[in-house]
Amino acid sequence: MLEKILILLCLSSALAEQPCKPDASDGYKVRLSIKTALGDEAYVWNENEMFLFRATLAFAMRSHLNGQEFDVSNIIVCDETPRVTFWFVVTSPLNTSGLVDKGVVEEAIRMSRNRINSAFLLTDKTLEFIGITPTLTAPVNPDTPPWLIVFGVVMGAVGAGIIVVLVSPLVLKKRKKNEETDEDEEETGVKAVENGSTREGVYNMSFSDDERLTQM
Amino acid sequence: LFNEKKNKRLQEADMDKGARPNWDNPMQFVLACVSYAVGLGNVWRFPYLCQLHGGGGFLIPYLIMLFLEGVPLFYLELAIGQKMSLGSIGAWTAISPYLGGVGLASVVTSLYLCLYYNIINAWSFWYLFHSFQSVLPWADCPINSNRTGPIEECERATPTQYFFYRETLDISSSIEVNGGIHTGQALCLVLAWLITYLFIVRGVKSTGKVVYFTATFPYVVLFIYLIRGMTLHGAINGVKYMFTPKMEQLANPTTWINAATQIFFSLGLGFGSLIAFASYNQYNNNFERQAIIVSLINSGTSIFASIVTFAIYGFKATVNYENCLERTRLLLLNAFSLAEDSITMDTVFDWIEKLNTTYPQQFAEIADKLENCDLESELDTAVEGTGLAFIVYSEAIMNMPLSQLWSVLYFIMLLLLGMGSMLGNVTAIVTPLRDFKITSRMSNELLNGLVCLFCLLLGLGFTTPSGNYWFTMFNDYGATFSLLFIVLIEVITVSYIYGIKRFEKDIEDMLGHRPNWYWKIMWSVTSPVLLIALFIFYIINYIKGGTPTYQAWNKELVSYGFFLLHY
Repeated sequence: MLEKILILLCLSSALAEQPCKPDASDGYKVRLSIKTALGDEAYVWNENEMFLFRATLAFAMRSHLNGQEFDVSNIIVCDETPRVTFWFVVTSPLNTSGLVDKGVVEEAIRMSRNRINSAFLLTDKTLEFIGITPTLTAPVNPDTPPWLIVFGVVMGAVGAGIIVVLVSPLVLKKRKKNEETDEDEEETGVKAVENGSTREGVYNMSFSDDERLTQM
Repeated sequence: LFNEKKNKRLQEADMDKGARPNWDNPMQFVLACVSYAVGLGNVWRFPYLCQLHGGGGFLIPYLIMLFLEGVPLFYLELAIGQKMSLGSIGAWTAISPYLGGVGLASVVTSLYLCLYYNIINAWSFWYLFHSFQSVLPWADCPINSNRTGPIEECERATPTQYFFYRETLDISSSIEVNGGIHTGQALCLVLAWLITYLFIVRGVKSTGKVVYFTATFPYVVLFIYLIRGMTLHGAINGVKYMFTPKMEQLANPTTWINAATQIFFSLGLGFGSLIAFASYNQYNNNFERQAIIVSLINSGTSIFASIVTFAIYGFKATVNYENCLERTRLLLLNAFSLAEDSITMDTVFDWIEKLNTTYPQQFAEIADKLENCDLESELDTAVEGTGLAFIVYSEAIMNMPLSQLWSVLYFIMLLLLGMGSMLGNVTAIVTPLRDFKITSRMSNELLNGLVCLFCLLLGLGFTTPSGNYWFTMFNDYGATFSLLFIVLIEVITVSYIYGIKRFEKDIEDMLGHRPNWYWKIMWSVTSPVLLIALFIFYIINYIKGGTPTYQAWNKELVSYGFFLLHY
């Protein structure tokens, strides 16, 4: 009789440990890459870190399912490897032998992913929940694309340059016309000749004195 | 004081009457030729050829061809332009009235080039403007609409390829499939043409000032990149790879043909630009020395640029190789659940062997995910053309620290190289047109504006989704054949129809001494023979090749294969 009770007790305790196993239907695999993320400042993974993990996960479950009081004991961990990977399952506080549904766990983790990451100083890439893809941040869409601004600046400069180059000879011509009308009033006895070839000489009265000294 | 004022008025009256404008000093002419000849081909074609044909060994056929073919033909074109003081049509008509067609062919070829060349400048502007962001847009894949991961097309290709083919070109799947104009591209093309107009609006007076900058600044950037490139991690691998000569390549006739072709196209012969530039020279300008200087500068720049390119190649190959090793390391760690610091990058290959022997079954499961990381094969990916400039280089730049600065510098350099060449191309069209009576009455500004507007409107066709395929057509098949023919006719005409003796006398008239026996032999024998050989080779290749083909980007398969463009 006593032996039967002992056997029953052993069996039931063995059964109670079964919920967490690799490839459990309601469990998730977690992989941490601490050395990749932190390099020289990496911390060692030990029992205390594991406790923090279970506590953070309990926090996530509590935040998601508002009424239920999840505790560290509700998070069961197994199959730890040197890589720092392990499987976990979540038991419900209302019914200790029942596991919380996979979908519910996933939602809870998604909601508090940021908090879980920062508790371990890791990122979405270095603290992986195999099977839960991280939601990526929405791309920032500025009102004016930045390239258009630079384009506008350069285009404006080029446009201004073209206008300056096209307008400046006209301005110079006007200024010269004003100077020429002043000159014409001063000079005497000059015939302005507009032949085809300007190299042919025109006898210019006002220069006759200088020709002995200067070469033309 | 009265004398000075009078002289100035006479001079200006001269200019209004249409006496030919001149370069302010011979230096401007030299810089204009350098700016024209040193173009994108020096940066993206020569390094490819060097790699293909045995690294350092390729310099031998290259330099031989430079002296047999490059310098004599360059000299010839400058001599014609300076003697006749007319654009290509006028100059050839003056040599013989039946040869006006040669000049016309040059103008048409320059027109083709103008249509498609400025698109490259538009792409450079696009990349330049997109470099002013905190993260370079080609560094990461954009996220898809569900926010679950990167866009599929981008994931199958690389972010740099995606940025070029999808966001810059918005490329379609074949030349028949078309769509609307890409507004961003069109805006950049308009800007490119406006800047070209600004540079040439007053003819040589404005071009002469611009070339001080466009000819010299690219060297500043190349020098900065040389220092940056050589200090990059893994750059030595690339430079060593390039310079190890593989002498057996010299026995391959393709090596010699490619060397001859590269010299020929790199100097920009046959387009009429050199004739146009030289026509604005003073009659007694010493162009013989200038021809040698410019040709040597051009080849020297090619070699210099290829050192920089190979340093960058080496860096990119090393980065890719190390990323590959890292991915393999992670794969092994995760599959066998080993501690993180048990495998380092150096011990990856040892561990692969160890794990294969100790856990063969488990290893077989991940065997198909295992990549083959090989530095040699990364270096072997020889790329040329727009693929090199916009994909490979961008990939290398995004891995450098302070990548925005390097990106801006690089694309400014590409722009200056491209714009410098455009100056020559547009001058080659405008100068002969000015010689006609109808157009000589138009002001400089108006004629230049009309030419630029015409090329801009036609060039908008290259900004459509199939535009890049049209670009390939023009680039590969538009000018190469015609140029060989034009220059062949040029050199045969001058040597045999005009006569070497008359040509000698003209040169003596201009320079004060006759050309040496070396030049005469090159013009009458060597260069024509080489050109005929090249011509025959091209014809044979064309016939053997059957229908001309092009490579297209398939959105679904996203395969490689868009890299082979020439210039």
